[in-house]
Amino acid sequence: MQPEYEPLCQAIIQGRVEEGVALAIKMVEGGKLPVEIFSQCIEPTLTDVGDKFSRLEIFLPEMINAAEVVKAIQEAIRPFMVGSSEQVIKGRIVIATVFGDLHDIGKNIVKAMLEVNGYQVQDLGVDVHTQQIVKAAKEMDAQIIALSALMMSSLPFVRDVIDYVKSSPETARRFKVLVGGGCMSREWAKSAGADGYGENAFEAVTVTNRLMGMDQ
Amino acid sequence: MRHTTRLMEVIQRSLSGPIMDEEVFNNRHITGGIARVVKEYDIRIDKERIINQDDDLADRVFQAAIDFLASCGVYCQSTNRVILYSQEEIKSILRTAPAQVRLGAGTDEVLEVARKVEDPRRPLLMGSPIGSPIEEEFFIPSMISYIQEPEVDATMAPTLGTIYGFEVRTRSPLEIMAAWREAELTLEALRRAGRPGMPITGLGMSFSDVGQLSADNPGGLRSTDLHTFGVISELKTNFEILNKLTHILYRDGIVDPYANPIYGGLGGGMEGQAVLIAAAMIALNVVFMATCVGSSPTHPFYFNDTHKELILPTSLAFQALARNTSLMTNLTISPVGGPLTKTLLYECTAYTIMCTVSGCSRILGPRSATGAIAGHFSGLEARFTGEVMSAACHLDRGKAEEIAQRAYEKYAPDLIKQPYGKHFREVYDLKTIQPVDAWLKMYEEVKNEVASWGLTFES
Repeated sequence: MQPEYEPLCQAIIQGRVEEGVALAIKMVEGGKLPVEIFSQCIEPTLTDVGDKFSRLEIFLPEMINAAEVVKAIQEAIRPFMVGSSEQVIKGRIVIATVFGDLHDIGKNIVKAMLEVNGYQVQDLGVDVHTQQIVKAAKEMDAQIIALSALMMSSLPFVRDVIDYVKSSPETARRFKVLVGGGCMSREWAKSAGADGYGENAFEAVTVTNRLMGMDQ
Repeated sequence: MRHTTRLMEVIQRSLSGPIMDEEVFNNRHITGGIARVVKEYDIRIDKERIINQDDDLADRVFQAAIDFLASCGVYCQSTNRVILYSQEEIKSILRTAPAQVRLGAGTDEVLEVARKVEDPRRPLLMGSPIGSPIEEEFFIPSMISYIQEPEVDATMAPTLGTIYGFEVRTRSPLEIMAAWREAELTLEALRRAGRPGMPITGLGMSFSDVGQLSADNPGGLRSTDLHTFGVISELKTNFEILNKLTHILYRDGIVDPYANPIYGGLGGGMEGQAVLIAAAMIALNVVFMATCVGSSPTHPFYFNDTHKELILPTSLAFQALARNTSLMTNLTISPVGGPLTKTLLYECTAYTIMCTVSGCSRILGPRSATGAIAGHFSGLEARFTGEVMSAACHLDRGKAEEIAQRAYEKYAPDLIKQPYGKHFREVYDLKTIQPVDAWLKMYEEVKNEVASWGLTFES
């Protein structure tokens, strides 16, 4: 990474929102293209943050803080961007823990990992009805629906979402369904018709990249 | 005992406490609160160890946990309010915590007691796969494999994948049927194994209040059993959980909740994890009126608790509680290894020794293969755990550390390979419900090896 990006890199790693936004705006006003800032600084920094979390050298709060800085930067430099934020976002994802299941930390880890890997993620929370998940995916124009379930007795609700998506040619074409959670096996995910399965947060990112047609 | 006044106090605080967004609670109260007390109480862990050796550090963790809990509270998702208790109230309630409880009935009755660090009294063993999934046809034989072991004092059912061939779904009538089916089958397994009064817990398949409580009634879970429910990580509840508590109290049941802080999550690293575990156990007693408090701190990627990063802060937190309260505490062993792997037995060795010398009252498990692989568990690992537990009662923390380190060196490199082992049907003779020769031989080999490290088994 070029030395000129080091202060911004540090602001992201240390979760300093105001400083990160100020530095990014200063660079854009100085003539840097937002896309350059993202590809040359923000993306590699976030990859590094994700890698450190995967080795548990940093923890969830630090990763969330880094993602928050980047979200604030995206918002702040939007007026300077030609077109839309599409240029700096890899894809759009809705994520939820399915109906009947209240576990959220695993989902939150996956969400943070997806965000630091460049995805825009809308978190619908826990205990979310099937129809509500698909409705949110349509409204966001998401490409991926990511579902979490920790308990065996909530697995049928994961299958409900998959069935709902596959039941219409339009939703089947628009959305890929990524699933994961403590009680879920790769075999179950396949039998339920999921497009992807993540045994843990890293695999969730790898599979998301694959579903989005990106090499990782 | 119903403790109506205390219960009403909890409910009223859930209705009248400070209102706030859940994200604010997560970020400011949990993450910010933990970071503050770790600094203020100078919580620093020697990360090379497995078992805490520092009493002063344990006492500081306890003080930090009280301070943190009083400022953080427990979040009620149903009302978006925080249930708060002051430091004085927390300490006052802890002073009245029961120090012993009788579990089970008749000749199968056992006494659980609050233990101290390096306490020579034997903890109880709840030998069980602790809710791991199982196919219907193996439910009773696999349970008998635990219940028949003399070292096992109490048990808990695995989770049925289906009932009468049908998948169970939460908040549906199937969940109520599953609760009753699990209770019926568990009681039948106790009867067949000749230990009908053995204390049990379970109904884990049925997560909702209606589902779980349906079989927490005459004909199902008995008042002499443990009535277990989980709270939401980290430090959260809702009306479904408070409904369970209310029903259990009105049944005069033994309240046995658990909280499983996630390592690397909102509490951060080892220091924060130690404070969070201790605070969560205290909250179970103060807010959830627990007779016994339990945990299975969880790794965020492997879902086990036998990594050093988890064993050490757990040891520290449980020593903090054992030194400063009379709480009856329990821990679940969640190894990565499964039956017919040495990894499983080495993991059980390190974790059980840690639990025993750190003042744990009851050890649960092992939940082999992280409890995620259907049928990958057996009673033999519970026998091994019980034998290690009984032997470890005579260890001081120095010797315990030495043996646990040796076991850790043996299994740590294998965790990433996820050695989930074999299914119950492959490691037990289903007619005699006895381990097959290969599994028995492996158990004996590891037991001899652990004995050579200085753990003196009774037989």
